[in-house]
Amino acid sequence: GGVSAGATNAALVGRIIRVDHAGEYGANRIYAGQMAVLGRSAVGPLIQQMWNQEKEHLKKFNELMVAYRVRPTVLLPIWNVAGFVLGAGSALLGKKGAMACTVAVEESISNHYNNQIRTLMEEDPEKYRELLQVIKQFRDDELEHHDIGLEHNAESAPAYSVLKTAIQLGCKAAIFLSERI
Amino acid sequence: SAVRCQLCPPQRALQASAALRRVSDEHKKEPAASSSQHQFDSHPTDQQPEQEPQGPRPSYTGQGGQESEDYESEEQLQHRILTAALEFVPEHGWSAEAIAEGAKTLGLSAAAAGMFHNDGSELVLHFVSQCNTELSELLEQEQKLVQLGETEKKTTEQFLRDALEARLRMLIPYIEKWPQAISILLLPHNIPSSLNLLTSMIDDIWHYAGDQSTDLNWYTRRAVLTGIYNTTELVMIQDTSPDFEDTWRFLENRVADAVNMHNTAKQIKSTGEALVQGLMGAAVTVKNLSGLNQRR
Repeated sequence: GGVSAGATNAALVGRIIRVDHAGEYGANRIYAGQMAVLGRSAVGPLIQQMWNQEKEHLKKFNELMVAYRVRPTVLLPIWNVAGFVLGAGSALLGKKGAMACTVAVEESISNHYNNQIRTLMEEDPEKYRELLQVIKQFRDDELEHHDIGLEHNAESAPAYSVLKTAIQLGCKAAIFLSERI
Repeated sequence: SAVRCQLCPPQRALQASAALRRVSDEHKKEPAASSSQHQFDSHPTDQQPEQEPQGPRPSYTGQGGQESEDYESEEQLQHRILTAALEFVPEHGWSAEAIAEGAKTLGLSAAAAGMFHNDGSELVLHFVSQCNTELSELLEQEQKLVQLGETEKKTTEQFLRDALEARLRMLIPYIEKWPQAISILLLPHNIPSSLNLLTSMIDDIWHYAGDQSTDLNWYTRRAVLTGIYNTTELVMIQDTSPDFEDTWRFLENRVADAVNMHNTAKQIKSTGEALVQGLMGAAVTVKNLSGLNQRR
């Protein structure tokens, strides 16, 4: 059953979809947290727009997850809370704090997608064409969010570099765990 | 036709294969002392079906070679022996004796049982794997019929009940010896394989039942169904009613319980959400009345 796997590396595809699904889920929760605090401010519509795109991403990965019969990570409830807290917490630092969080997270996600693209290209670009297309598109979207964050004074946020480093470390850990459990 | 074994470790397989050919009626060959017989082209792809090797040919290039109809890999041979051995399980249990008898019906020596562990592990695992494959095919067929509109789509409850019943019915011919099989599956060195077989079977059933969950429900559903399967299996091995009707009734109740619990949980959730909405509304009203909501 499921999408014809042929000779695709099921374990690799499973890992990729599981972690990407977790990532989009987390990103959704981060924007939800930011909206909860800054929803009614001037930057609200912008955050809402980026959030809507993440919702589309999550929807796509939900579909892929069912099609490839991949199990979701058990850590989803944790990403649920952690994402919301991160979003809300960074938004409490103000608009620039929220933008800084966006920059940090989107940079991590873009790097992560790039790594996956490299891996899939090394394996077999033809076999994984559909997946590659999706990941490339999403990587471009995330880079766009990253740039929007920079445009909106992310770098002027309080303790920008500390914030950015801490968030990106968290993202690395989340990615490592979600691939495996 | 020649039964050739493609050699790969372990060593005892080499000796067993050699022993098979030595004693087997169909093949009057000189005993293969060692693999120092005259070497054919060691390239597997050059192999001709008509050539009869004097002894087992070591293959160092892996299993990638082409397999003509006469050529059978060791794995395929093992599968044939284990399948043949199932017939003898009611009499000999899940054991090396059953495997030996199975080998004999294929015209091989009883020493073929030496290819396997003494405790009948491979036989049980082979049987379980075979049953799971059969179940998958059944469910795939059913899905096709539904897609073609030739059968009605079942409710989830009915589907799960029927799938589990179909799978458990495959145990009926071996039900006397099934407790032994269960204990073999629980041996520590078998647990990874038996767990793997169990989880993939349950996953298959949910997949064909149309499960599309991508959150923790994915885990809860599988855990619940596994529990139902295991408890029903235990009831079945002690069931003496005609055609196991007590077991199917037990199964029906368990599945109904699970579905009920799920529905109740959904109701609680929606009631809870409605409650929260109500409270939020009340809070906003209080804020309005007390003037806290006014912009200044």
